[in-house]
Amino acid sequence: MQKSTIQFLLINCFLAIVLVSCGSVTQNYTPKKLDKTSIEVPYFSDSKTDYVYKTNITVYGHEMSGIFIAKKINDTTHRVVFTTEFGNKLMDFEISENDFKVNSMVSELDRKILINTLEEDFHLLLKNKYLIQEQFENEENNIYKSADGKRDNYLFFSKKHQKLEKVVRSSKTKDKITITFTLENDIFAKKVVILHQNIKLKIELNYFKSE
Amino acid sequence: MKTKIALLILFISGSLFAQEQKMTAAEISKFKEDVNVVSKKIKTLSTDFVQYKHLDFLSKDIETSGKMFFKEPALLSWQYKKPYNYSIVFKNGKILINDEGKKSAVDIGNSKIFARINKLIVGSVSGNMFDDKEFTISYFKLKGQNLAKFIPKDATLKKYIKQIELTFNKEEATVVQVKLLESSDDYTRIVLKNKVINAKIDDSVFTN
Repeated sequence: MQKSTIQFLLINCFLAIVLVSCGSVTQNYTPKKLDKTSIEVPYFSDSKTDYVYKTNITVYGHEMSGIFIAKKINDTTHRVVFTTEFGNKLMDFEISENDFKVNSMVSELDRKILINTLEEDFHLLLKNKYLIQEQFENEENNIYKSADGKRDNYLFFSKKHQKLEKVVRSSKTKDKITITFTLENDIFAKKVVILHQNIKLKIELNYFKSE
Repeated sequence: MKTKIALLILFISGSLFAQEQKMTAAEISKFKEDVNVVSKKIKTLSTDFVQYKHLDFLSKDIETSGKMFFKEPALLSWQYKKPYNYSIVFKNGKILINDEGKKSAVDIGNSKIFARINKLIVGSVSGNMFDDKEFTISYFKLKGQNLAKFIPKDATLKKYIKQIELTFNKEEATVVQVKLLESSDDYTRIVLKNKVINAKIDDSVFTN
């Protein structure tokens, strides 16, 4: 009797874990009435600012570092360049809502899977307008859901600071990419971390002021 | 009025010409000889540097600075101090990196391209890289300075660097500026100053 109770509990626990991990990404959030239908993100949107960050990339245990440079070059497009500390250009892209153009890429990094991953990351990082369909909250955040093709983007505004501090890109059941912002002020992020949940990739950006 | 403008244009273009004038064959051999004599004497070298990364679409160059140390035959340490701490040491076929305390090493023993880049950096700083097999070289005179332009012949190297320009102090025949051009619009310019030649450099500078 006791044995079967334990078995029953174990199975229940197992089922509970399976169900939790298969559940919707929003299941721990409380739905709320929509208070806005669009959100603009200002962190990379000023066309007069050179966004220059020291970068550390960890990919499957390998470390890489360099300098990440982004600039809004017209209404729709950002130029993104990644160089070594010495200044050699490793990648050079132009990226907009619907377009992604590789200007140059060193042959060592010229891999389709890498380019596709970075395209998705930088798209999300530099996106400055989201249309909102649903709203939720948890203890610390107001959470806005914005559909984006097969994926959904969730924008986390901390209740304490009333600022966008996290963007999560998810499928229906799993988080794929999390971007966290540490803010210098309302319109500028001094630190950005892009973390992938399905592959072992982390990109950390730390702003630096030129002398 | 028209003549004045024409004169002005003539004057401006004339002075532009005066800025960068081709050396004669005799001047080239004298210049190369001067640089060779000085660079042969270099056993150690330390210098401050300021690096300006110019990308045409940016409103301002990205400026970083630090110290560089070289010891014969091939110990080299670049130490960025501002605005971040990052140092890179070339030693016994290895690259040792210290990125704000985070250390890593890359074995370049077999990498031809890195060996070549290493040789290039040492050559750029000491000035002695007049290798006609590796580069197409052209020589110019400036006010108080000499300028040598190196175009790599090797296709692989050319993918990374379109041209290297070394500016020399005329009197001392040592390098005062290194410019690495990636394209016509984008380049890295490194200004060397407070150069000290043949002072004792502790080996600990080349551990990382």
